[in-house]
Amino acid sequence: MLSVPEPSRHPIRLVVTDELRRSRLTVVFRLLLALPHLVWVTLFGIAASAVGFVAWLAVLIEGQVPTSIHDFLVRYVRYTTHVAAYVVLAAGPYPGFGGTRAYPVDVEVDPPERQRRLGGLVRLVLVVPASLLAWSLGGSAGLGLWSGVAALALFGGLTGTIAFLGWFACLARGRMPRGMRDAAAYGCGYAAQVTAYALLVTGRYPDSTPDRMAPRAELPDHPVAVRVDDDLCRPRLLVLFRFPLVIPHLFWLTLWAAPAAIALVCAWLAALVLGRVPRFLHRFLAAFLRATAHLSAFAYVVGRPFPGFVGREGSYPLDFTIAPPEPQRRLGVLVRPVLAIPALLLNQAYGWILLVVAVLGWVAALVTGRMPAGLRDLGVASIRYQTQAGAYLFLLTPRYPDSSPVLLGRRQVELAPDGEHPWYPGLEPAA
Amino acid sequence: MTVPRLVVAAAVAVGWVALAWLLAGSVVPDDLSLPTVDVDAVFGEQLVDRAERYERFLYVDWLLAKVVLLATLAVYARYGVRYARESAAGPIGTGMLLGMLGLAIAWLTQLPFALAALWWERRHGVSEVGYLEAIFGGWLGLGGTFVAVCIALLVVMALARRLGSWWWLPGAGVFALIAAVLVFSGPYLVTGLERPADPELQRTYDRYARAQGVDDIPLRVEEVSGDTSQANAYAFGLGPSARIVLWDTLLDGRFSDGEVNVVVAHEIGHHSSDHLLEAIAWFGLFAIPGALALMVATRRRGGMGEAAAVPLALLVTAVVQLALAPAQNLVSRGSEGEADWKALQTTRDPASARGLFREFAATSLGDPSPPTWAYVMLQSHPTLAQRVAMAVAWELEQEERVSG
Repeated sequence: MLSVPEPSRHPIRLVVTDELRRSRLTVVFRLLLALPHLVWVTLFGIAASAVGFVAWLAVLIEGQVPTSIHDFLVRYVRYTTHVAAYVVLAAGPYPGFGGTRAYPVDVEVDPPERQRRLGGLVRLVLVVPASLLAWSLGGSAGLGLWSGVAALALFGGLTGTIAFLGWFACLARGRMPRGMRDAAAYGCGYAAQVTAYALLVTGRYPDSTPDRMAPRAELPDHPVAVRVDDDLCRPRLLVLFRFPLVIPHLFWLTLWAAPAAIALVCAWLAALVLGRVPRFLHRFLAAFLRATAHLSAFAYVVGRPFPGFVGREGSYPLDFTIAPPEPQRRLGVLVRPVLAIPALLLNQAYGWILLVVAVLGWVAALVTGRMPAGLRDLGVASIRYQTQAGAYLFLLTPRYPDSSPVLLGRRQVELAPDGEHPWYPGLEPAA
Repeated sequence: MTVPRLVVAAAVAVGWVALAWLLAGSVVPDDLSLPTVDVDAVFGEQLVDRAERYERFLYVDWLLAKVVLLATLAVYARYGVRYARESAAGPIGTGMLLGMLGLAIAWLTQLPFALAALWWERRHGVSEVGYLEAIFGGWLGLGGTFVAVCIALLVVMALARRLGSWWWLPGAGVFALIAAVLVFSGPYLVTGLERPADPELQRTYDRYARAQGVDDIPLRVEEVSGDTSQANAYAFGLGPSARIVLWDTLLDGRFSDGEVNVVVAHEIGHHSSDHLLEAIAWFGLFAIPGALALMVATRRRGGMGEAAAVPLALLVTAVVQLALAPAQNLVSRGSEGEADWKALQTTRDPASARGLFREFAATSLGDPSPPTWAYVMLQSHPTLAQRVAMAVAWELEQEERVSG
């Protein structure tokens, strides 16, 4: 049974009021329009670094950052968030230069609080793991902006991929897809937490839980739904030998991949003729996909127990419910490999995140015997995306994968008034 | 025991003995008596002392490692079943997890002893492998071991769940079959083997191979000089996959052409005598009592069809391996002795053979005349003193033939 305690309110909170509409004209020239901000953020970053050094001295001496310095650094954090959100298309309006006005993708920051001197002393060391994660989430949007050095190199990671794909989507539809916006906003929000932590705006470590967004994001139901029932405990012996332990599964999945590939071709041909995938092929491919997801969860320390080999539904704490076969449009089936390309690009970005989650989670679990909840949740979101992308490619569903990392949307929480969603038993919804 | 069971047991025992008798045949004359070799005179007193000191440390290290291994597996056999709750797999998958974790724990406990042995080898210039390389290489290498143990457990547990307490009989056959597949496929999995650069070596090899009636087996050279200074060679594969491999350390100038030729003829001898097939058959024979012991020992835990029996099975396997080691070494020494004899028959160069074995003592610091217990438990080859004695015996036999 999952029992994640409600984390106390993080001092740096992401607030998203964006309505998804985008002006095509500003999207076309987005990077050029952002140039003045990129120059300014570099200069601002140099100043923030100098002020951050003063803040560091203040924490070492007084155990607290003076309010004036704190406010300056908060403005910098907010400003970098606005610029990053603008560049990666998480928001539409042109941001102000001061970091003081409200913006559709913004952060709320608490007043200065006391910080432990030892934590302040080694802050630049402590921030390394979070920076790694920020890098995988947002490329240098997470790292370059706060240092003010590599501001132009915004692309890479999840938000970079989303910016690339979102650019085409916005031009075509005049709107940013909701899932992409949420993922980009999440990346910006996490980068803001890392920046704030590095600059001693807060002593609280960045929280990578994808659900920390206000107001709570929308999350439509998807035919490929994840169910999490994990207690975060990780026996150290299984963590230490995690890599060798997955090798037999890899061996087995490699053998299984050959008939799965044949089944996929058969499913594709059958769907072209019948307009739907026959049930037995659907079941076979779903089991393969589920087995892959179970193995991913175990290999990347997102799941606790050693998984089974056959991908049986309900056999693993991180499990996937895959809806039965449904009618699919033949044209969509015909060009499915092409349509899946954007999803595969995002799949790759989520794969990098998963790798970083695994490395950080492996070290954390080896030391503490527990997987940090934020890392676990981000890992769940990544595996969910990969499984949804796989299901789309394998013709198990005509629904495109949902790129949002959010695990519990507003609707899901409303449907579970007692605070327990059937897919996340025991998970306390975040504020 | 019921009458049918007694009949089956008797039939198995008779078949076992008959096959063992057939496999035990050798081209080495039965009446060959090895002369006593003065190891100090042949190898040099100083080298013998150094080799004894070197080996003594490794013997102690081995003994301690075995004690710790058995103790660890005994504890794991008692408490390891707790890890079953860390599995979301079925009974066989859970058995696999328990098997892998047992091996992982065993690897962890053996690591200090392996590192101590490595330190000793590096100190004596026998190995050049780094410590981190040894640790991480071993950690990654566990993956391959895990695959093997998973396959073995899949076979055993599936058979046990299907056949009950009779699984051990077909199980031994399946193990022999798996061993045959591994021996056959092994050469295709090893990369980086090159043809010999020396055309004279290739010509000599071809001549010897024809003489022994196996002229279609490729000769290859493996580069190991970055890891060790020891010289070695081996024969592996079956039928079309058969290969003979020389380490490049054998060809670095420390050994004369005649000495290298003896090694080449020895390895050809393994293939011409079908030693690899015999080894598979012996493996199958030894698997029968091993599997039987497993079946009997794990009955109280529900038999090998249950995951809970796996931790105990690991302990039993380790004990059986230790118990069967003298017999396995005896068989192996017989094959090596036969290959030595064939090498002498082929090269007709006992002087080079004696020189080769002296040089082996110098490069690998092998004790020419180890203590009896070490000889019984550890020596898969005849001792260097015995190998020199065989060369002398061959020489004497030739002289007798000429004079007679």
